Amino acid sequence: MKITPTVRAIIGLELRSLIRDVRTVLMSIVLPVLLMPVILLISVQMEDRRVERESTRTYTFAVTGAEGAMAGDLLRDHLGSETTQSDGVRLARVEVEDPRAALEADELDFYLEALSAREWQEAAEADSTLRPGLDDFDDTPVFRLVIKSDRTASRNGADELSDRLIDIRSDRRDSVLIAAGFPIPPAEVAVFDTANVASLDEVQGARMGRFLTLFLVMLMVMGGSVLAVDTLAGEKERGTLVTILTTAASRDEIVTAKLLAVIAVALAIAVVQVVNLWVYLGLDLIPVGSSFAVSITPGTAAILLVLYLPIVALTAGLLLLTSAYAKSFKEAQLWLTPVLLGMIAPTLAPLLPNLQLQSAIIVVPIANVSIAVRDVLVGQPSWLAVGIAWSITAAVAAWVTSLSVRALSDEAVITGDTTRAEFLGGPALFRARVLRLFMLFWAVKVLIDFNLAWDDLRVTIFMNVGVVFLAFPLILIRIFKLDPVEALALRAPKPGVWIAVLLGAPAGLLAFTIVAQFVNLFIPVPPEMLENFGQALLPPDIPVWQIIVMMSVIPGIVEELTFRGILIHGLRTRWSPTLIALVTGLMFGFFHFQLFRIPGTAVLGMILASVVLMTGSVFPAMLWHILNNGLALYLATQDVDLSVESWPVGVAALAALGMSMWLIWKNRTPYPGLTKATRFASEPATTLASGRR
Amino acid sequence: MPEVRVRTEDLTKVFYDDGRGEVRAVDSVNITCESGEILGLLGANGAGKTTTLRMLATVLAPTGGNAWVHGHEVREAAEQVRASLGFYSASTALYPKITPRETLRFFARVNNYPKARLEQRVEYLIDRFGMESFSDSRVEKLSSGMKQKVSIARTVAHDPPVLIFDEPTVALDVLNAIELRDIIAKLRDDGKAIIFSTHIMSEAEQLCDRIAIIHHGRILATDTLDGLRQSTGHHYLEDIFVHYANSSGSDDAIGMVSDEVVG
Repeated sequence: MKITPTVRAIIGLELRSLIRDVRTVLMSIVLPVLLMPVILLISVQMEDRRVERESTRTYTFAVTGAEGAMAGDLLRDHLGSETTQSDGVRLARVEVEDPRAALEADELDFYLEALSAREWQEAAEADSTLRPGLDDFDDTPVFRLVIKSDRTASRNGADELSDRLIDIRSDRRDSVLIAAGFPIPPAEVAVFDTANVASLDEVQGARMGRFLTLFLVMLMVMGGSVLAVDTLAGEKERGTLVTILTTAASRDEIVTAKLLAVIAVALAIAVVQVVNLWVYLGLDLIPVGSSFAVSITPGTAAILLVLYLPIVALTAGLLLLTSAYAKSFKEAQLWLTPVLLGMIAPTLAPLLPNLQLQSAIIVVPIANVSIAVRDVLVGQPSWLAVGIAWSITAAVAAWVTSLSVRALSDEAVITGDTTRAEFLGGPALFRARVLRLFMLFWAVKVLIDFNLAWDDLRVTIFMNVGVVFLAFPLILIRIFKLDPVEALALRAPKPGVWIAVLLGAPAGLLAFTIVAQFVNLFIPVPPEMLENFGQALLPPDIPVWQIIVMMSVIPGIVEELTFRGILIHGLRTRWSPTLIALVTGLMFGFFHFQLFRIPGTAVLGMILASVVLMTGSVFPAMLWHILNNGLALYLATQDVDLSVESWPVGVAALAALGMSMWLIWKNRTPYPGLTKATRFASEPATTLASGRR
Repeated sequence: MPEVRVRTEDLTKVFYDDGRGEVRAVDSVNITCESGEILGLLGANGAGKTTTLRMLATVLAPTGGNAWVHGHEVREAAEQVRASLGFYSASTALYPKITPRETLRFFARVNNYPKARLEQRVEYLIDRFGMESFSDSRVEKLSSGMKQKVSIARTVAHDPPVLIFDEPTVALDVLNAIELRDIIAKLRDDGKAIIFSTHIMSEAEQLCDRIAIIHHGRILATDTLDGLRQSTGHHYLEDIFVHYANSSGSDDAIGMVSDEVVG
């Protein structure tokens, strides 16, 4: 990233254009600056007034029930007259005919039912949600506060009276105990106290560390999006993109300049907002608790600045990428909300209890830096972990930026032509829609899995797996008029492939069960990493052969038709084989809704996708899938735990897996129609273009 | 002595289209353009004109063959190629929020025009294209005729030896189109090598020194208007075009002329 004169010129152009856009400046900078303190001020004042009103108001209540007279006496004895007063809170007892009606009509805030034990018993029998009566003490009266919890006054007033009643009960209990000869005041049986040894800085650091990154990212996205949505998507729409692309400015220079401009605007708006807030806080216009003020030393501030660099770059990079791939300004704006949510989700990591940086979270960009920031603010960072976290997020930021550079070389992105496929329908439309259709299918599958279950597990599996995964590709074939043989890759592979599968499936199962154990040392996950159906899943009353059919043969066939059949068919012209295998595997993983099963099934999915791409046939993958599930199940029924095997066995299994893949490669029949596979196919590279017209 | 400033050698672009499969949008195109010459690229819509010119401007990458602009190869030295040319088309708009003066300054800078002479160049262009009265108003506030002047001035801001005009008159009214053609003719007299694409026969007849007829991605003939008349025996360019399109073995040539090629 070099700041050439061209980069400076483009930054100048961007910033000048933004500042001269009066409406944008007003709407996205001036207005929020003015509005934020106004909103804060109003909400603070409203809260003050509410608290004040609640604390000085008089709550009216009535007393009813068979023991009403007794309760009235009790309250009078202990609280003085009918109207009681303490801390400005008044509880006023009134007489009404029908307390329930009066409560509904807002004439009462709540009422007290003083029931005899018999009345309570009857009420409890009629209404099973009530607590059962106290059998041993037949004459114990029951006080029940009836409130309408949609009214704050009703809740607060009842709480107030409840506290007084509990005090009364304690007093009476104590006096009974003392009268019976209890040697000390009963309340002094034990005394409780808490001592806090955290320093003020630690407490404040922990509190601020939880929200600081969230705050920064939100301000950055909101500020940066002002320029970002306009900068590439807007240029496409206005037609200036080709103008700038035909100048001597390189793609790198253009992206660098735009990235820096987005960062500058995002930071400027973030700083303006923070300073703005600061001024109002400093002037005490907005009263906040002392806990908000945190003392940060210049050293800590410098560290935070460095820590936040990759987050700032990544935020700007993602915004720019969104803008690069959006066809228009409007489309870019549409994408903003998902991008914002996607950016904010990882910043919530410090809010998770007990989440340490030395865990799987260290590989999650943004989330890792968020936690590193918290650790720095609390004053207990592990600098090695902080460094790793920083590097990972920085690497992702660099990668995202490079994607933007690539977008400017992507001819389909530049020329922005809408796809012809929509007019043609049929197979072309299917290829354009396949990802969307699978997302929809995923949502439907979630609904099915969490709502549909039959009494017999076999029926459930047959319906939710067998029928669903078979129906989906068949429906697609019908709607889009696809050729079933092509769409599902129903071709015969070379014979050698079968031997490779017989070797590869058990080796793969063994290798990944063992590898999972080692991964476990660093990333704690439940041991059920692979498609390992544990004992709990196996109902004892179903014969083993039926379980194997239900859980390995059926899924092995239909899931392959769906994922390695029609999905790969739909993606074949879109990406390189490697990317197709990765995406297919990930999607397969996400269709396993238990979180811990996703990594294992994703890896299995990637292997199966590679097998299909190398053999041009879905059948070897089916056999592999059936063998994998069947073996895992069989071993589970026999109580064999592969994970106890030591690492040399794992290495041997990995080697066998590698050998199997090599054997498949040797017997390969490349998947037909892979347009971006010049290096993959066995024939010499063709001159086929990668762009769409 | 004129020098060859643009040269293509079997320049080819194959697209992969989801609906149609492989599409050879540009098929082994060989053209040259010298200094002080306007080469017309004449063809119907979809003939491959824009794709050819965008490959010369390095916006699109060739899938076969090669091309050189001012001695720089489009694949190897894309930035030098772009620095040596000015590209003007209906899809090259101006930045709306800056003034014509700022526009010229910006494009001269990003095209590496020497900084010391930059202001002088900007003043010269404002004077030459008659933009004094509006040189400090924002582009968004200008009339379409004014914008057209700014657009041409920005195309030549860095005084490039090669100029590419891709259907520049397509969105213009008659008077603006005439003015634009006059300006292009003057630029030729300044010694620029100019490639001018159009589907309008009369425009090609009036303006171009040589005409390359492009049809279905292939160049069917390249010659002066007189040369084309002699080889085909037809007088009007429209007849000449139909002659070549028919002999190329494509059955829809006449249809394309009558539907899309307006005289």
